[in-house]
Amino acid sequence: MHPFDRAFRFVLPVGAVAVLSTVLAVGWFTQPDRFAKGYAPEQPIPFSHQLHAGTMKMQCLYCHSGAERSRSAGVPSAEVCMGCHKVTRTDRPAIQKLTQLYNAGKPILWQRVHTLPDHVFFDHRPHVNAGIACQTCHGEVQTMPVITREMGMRMANCLGCHRDPHAALPKDSKITRGPENCSACHR
Amino acid sequence: MKTQIPPSPEPPVEIPRYWRTLGEREETPEARKAAHDEFLPGAVDVADLPAPSEFSRRGFLGLMGGAAALAATVACDRKGQGTIVPYTRRPVEVIPGVANYYASARQEGRRAYSVLVKTREGRPIHITGNDEHPGFKGKTSPRTIADIMGLYDADRLRAPKAEGRPLAWAEADSRMTAALAGAKAAGKPVLLITGAVASPSRKALFADLKAALPTLEHLAWEPVRGDGAAEGARAVFGTDVEVAPRLEKAKVVLSLGADFLSGEDPEALAAFGAKRRLSEPGQATNRLWVLEGPLSITGSNADQRFPVRPSRIAAVAFALAKALQSRGLGLPAGADLSAVPAGVPQGVDIPAEAWKNLVNDLASARREALVLCGAEMSAEAHQAAHLLNAMLGSQALELRAAEPLATVKDLDAAMQGMAAGRYAAVLLWDVNPAYAFPRAQAWKDALAKVPFRAWMGLAEDETAAQCQLLLPVNHWLESWNDFGSGELFILQQPAIGALYDTRQGEDVLLAALKGLGAAVPADYHAYLKARWQKEVYPAGSPVAFERYFEVALHDGLVKDGKAAPAPVFKGATLAAAAKQALAAQGGDLELVLVPGFATHDGRYANNGWLMETPDPVTKMTWDNPLLLSVADARRLKLNDGDLATLTVDGTTLRVPVVLQPGQAKGVVTLALGYGRTTGEMAAGKGVNAFPLMALDPAAPNLRSGVQVAAAGGSKPLSRTQAHHRLDGREIVQSWSLAEYAQEARDRKKGPELVTLYPDQEFPQHKWGMVIDLAACVGCSGCMVGCQSENNVAVVGPEQVTRGREMHWIRLDSYYEGDVDNPKVVHQPMLCQHCDDAPCENVCPVNATNHSPEGLNQMVYNRCVGTRYCANNCPYKVRRFNFLEYTADKVEPESLIYNPEVTVRPRGVMEKCTFCVQRIEDGKIRAKGEDRPLQDGEITPACAVSCPSDAIVFGDLKDPNSKVSQLVKANRSFKVLEELGVKPAITYLADLKNPAIEGGQHEL
Repeated sequence: MHPFDRAFRFVLPVGAVAVLSTVLAVGWFTQPDRFAKGYAPEQPIPFSHQLHAGTMKMQCLYCHSGAERSRSAGVPSAEVCMGCHKVTRTDRPAIQKLTQLYNAGKPILWQRVHTLPDHVFFDHRPHVNAGIACQTCHGEVQTMPVITREMGMRMANCLGCHRDPHAALPKDSKITRGPENCSACHR
Repeated sequence: MKTQIPPSPEPPVEIPRYWRTLGEREETPEARKAAHDEFLPGAVDVADLPAPSEFSRRGFLGLMGGAAALAATVACDRKGQGTIVPYTRRPVEVIPGVANYYASARQEGRRAYSVLVKTREGRPIHITGNDEHPGFKGKTSPRTIADIMGLYDADRLRAPKAEGRPLAWAEADSRMTAALAGAKAAGKPVLLITGAVASPSRKALFADLKAALPTLEHLAWEPVRGDGAAEGARAVFGTDVEVAPRLEKAKVVLSLGADFLSGEDPEALAAFGAKRRLSEPGQATNRLWVLEGPLSITGSNADQRFPVRPSRIAAVAFALAKALQSRGLGLPAGADLSAVPAGVPQGVDIPAEAWKNLVNDLASARREALVLCGAEMSAEAHQAAHLLNAMLGSQALELRAAEPLATVKDLDAAMQGMAAGRYAAVLLWDVNPAYAFPRAQAWKDALAKVPFRAWMGLAEDETAAQCQLLLPVNHWLESWNDFGSGELFILQQPAIGALYDTRQGEDVLLAALKGLGAAVPADYHAYLKARWQKEVYPAGSPVAFERYFEVALHDGLVKDGKAAPAPVFKGATLAAAAKQALAAQGGDLELVLVPGFATHDGRYANNGWLMETPDPVTKMTWDNPLLLSVADARRLKLNDGDLATLTVDGTTLRVPVVLQPGQAKGVVTLALGYGRTTGEMAAGKGVNAFPLMALDPAAPNLRSGVQVAAAGGSKPLSRTQAHHRLDGREIVQSWSLAEYAQEARDRKKGPELVTLYPDQEFPQHKWGMVIDLAACVGCSGCMVGCQSENNVAVVGPEQVTRGREMHWIRLDSYYEGDVDNPKVVHQPMLCQHCDDAPCENVCPVNATNHSPEGLNQMVYNRCVGTRYCANNCPYKVRRFNFLEYTADKVEPESLIYNPEVTVRPRGVMEKCTFCVQRIEDGKIRAKGEDRPLQDGEITPACAVSCPSDAIVFGDLKDPNSKVSQLVKANRSFKVLEELGVKPAITYLADLKNPAIEGGQHEL
């Protein structure tokens, strides 16, 4: 076989396919929301947001009280749970586990669902105080029996809204846009 | 044949007005190159990287492939998100993510600092002064800010120990009780040595202990507090005194070797700064005269400074008293100066004209004049200084009777007692005589003869090695206490629970008291409260005591209003002192031992922040070189970094030397507190100078007849004086008041700067800063505050030698004039946040760019470490992480980090951010409360830590802000303005107020 023949018939197509498949594979593997979206790990206590926030219409801030006052919204201390569960549903195994942990003074190790890299200094306060609903980023939490990640929480998600926040903000909000400079979030 | 090129004729040497190094003064080619280069030559060397092993390209690629596959696998792991660990029971005051502030207090020597401790999730992370304190007004000292590192020191002893094995507290208590009860039964003395007692409750506890154990002997010892001061005060007042300058009332201040502007006394710095911050030439200011041997921070801020050998200071002071007497100022009863000759004393190099001006100044300012004498000076000098203040009737100082401190003589007597078997037991609490006593070996031998030796302290030190029972005590951030300073009681409360199995020192003594059968409260907290209820709580107060105490804790202080009577001056000893002062001679060379700026008496030698902060005068880090005057160094054929032997009284040390402009001829200086043998950071840094101390309490820190000789060889100096040299016109400006008057009248306008760049737009805010060089004394508080706030890495002496220190703000000191007695200007230098920043244009990945609020932002996660930006920065303020300085930090050291600021890894550029985390937080708070930002609401760490308020930060868009007003001041200038980079920092020219020829005084 002529060396050119081999090059055209074999090396070139195989090479092209290899390159293309590599690009596609890397692209698919590294696409922003591939793993982020739909992440719903099993939690130590099967807490249902659907029940608490949906059916019973508890305010998000009742438990995540840091959102207005702190950078992090915070996960409630077991004491907050026990405020009701000292008396309610004490027959359920999950509540018994909760009571046990609480009485032993042991923390509940919740699996983190929403996370940002260490170099991002997101602050809940300005967002919550501007009237942006929690669901804008965290999804329709009140319908989730198991908390599930709905948004990739990439920088594009932040900037999309900061450049044109009207989709997220209440209708009468005076805010036109969020900061886009680096040190607003990175420092 | 080679062509011989004739050497080009040397350009005539023109001495620049301001210079930083001797080489720069003479414009050597090396110095010129250093100004042009981005980093020091050593900084960019890769010689210290591990040598590449036998590793082929093929092997490398193979490994890379494997690593990539592994990374992909790991990246697929959904469990990598970690856990959230909430509180089980959240303390009501803690909101995760929000800082809490607690008022507390810290003691150093006799001084107590009222502080605010910033805690995050229960962890102290930053210290500032308490703004409720009427004197400190939110300011504190550099060592106070840095002492948070002592809490997280990895070397701390974590549980009681005896004979090298850990021990339960119960057992430690019973051993202690048995030893003390045995001593009591046998009637043998027990020796307790502590630091200065500044706490009334601790004093009461000692009294209780003395009552339960009558054979107790207590010595309060501060090795660097200056026994001369105590001896001098006892001679003329009959008691120890504390001298608190009231600089706001002083027109003329004379320092006789007193370094009162060193940063240790924030009240003095605030008052001094306030007097120097002039907005018009005619305003009232003060004049600072300094007569001293070594150049101190105070001397570097003097209006008129004359190098005087410390052995002659007392003679100078008596001659001044004589001159004032001849000007009609009455001598106090009993004082006799007939033996003192008139005029400048022999061997003192002060021109007659200057002497006349000094006497004039003092005589005309009278009650508004103040004389301060350095702690290292002799007892006679202190007597003379007290005499001068008494003659002047000075109102610019407060004298308070103080608890006596033990002198070297007392320690020596105790040592001889131990050697003679006098003591049954010794308790050593927060003191380290095995290191800091001049005859350490004799001390160790004597201590070994005491049957029971207990040690209480934070980290095992030289003394701990000599003791059987080691009791770890709480850090002050874990402790209760109170301090009384005149009319004010300051409260110390724990900002964190004890990190380890430690106890507060007072609790150890309380346990011993209980063991001896005394009825005492359960712990020191209860003891202190009971004492407060009895002694401090006003009788018949409508407020319940619990509430009263809570308010006091919240404020951190209580105003008591009971001022102690001032001690009365007696002049009987003065004639003898004058005679001695006139006869005192220092010999060919004399030595002054000064407390280390970072180490103090050695107790902070394990504190990386302090050790790496350059000494404000010498700019030395991590080491204590011998300071020589340039003339002496030339005579001895020594140069910077050369090793020399220093011999005093048969004791010889081998030290590197530094040529210090302004050092008096015939005077060498060595800092104390270095050369520790324990502590990971402290061990082996510098030499221990305590063995050179004299056992004479009149002047233990002054030695005469010192020999210095070249030892051969040299040592690279971890000294930053020559680092980051700027190249350009008028980098600093320092004016006399006459020059200021002229500048204010007709300010030279520079050429208008043209630019090709469009003007930046700042829609909302434009952050800017003004630094007043007249108020800045160079104390370096800003550097420590910034390091604490911004997680700035400590790199160690080798890295500093290479020019790789990481400080975001540095203090450049410039000398002006005569090398033997130059004027000094201190200039804080930090990122100038230029509008047309040269660093931004050259970043290939846009990691540094401009924010719409005028900040030059640095994005670490984008930075790839090309260092182009640093190369292009004319101010040399960008810092590169040449090595991995942070990744190996684990608890407890990592607990000190501010969670609002990224901890930077290797290969990343960093620099001042104007504390952007505070700006963002301030804006978010204002927005949350639906109000505009107020001026002064946002303050970066450097401005907060500046005791003299030389740094002002604010919004330049707001025409009414303080910073906008100051930018327009008639002393304002910008550094390297001719480059047209439009810096956001404006400096105000330094001012000196020298006496004017012919006796005219602008006061």
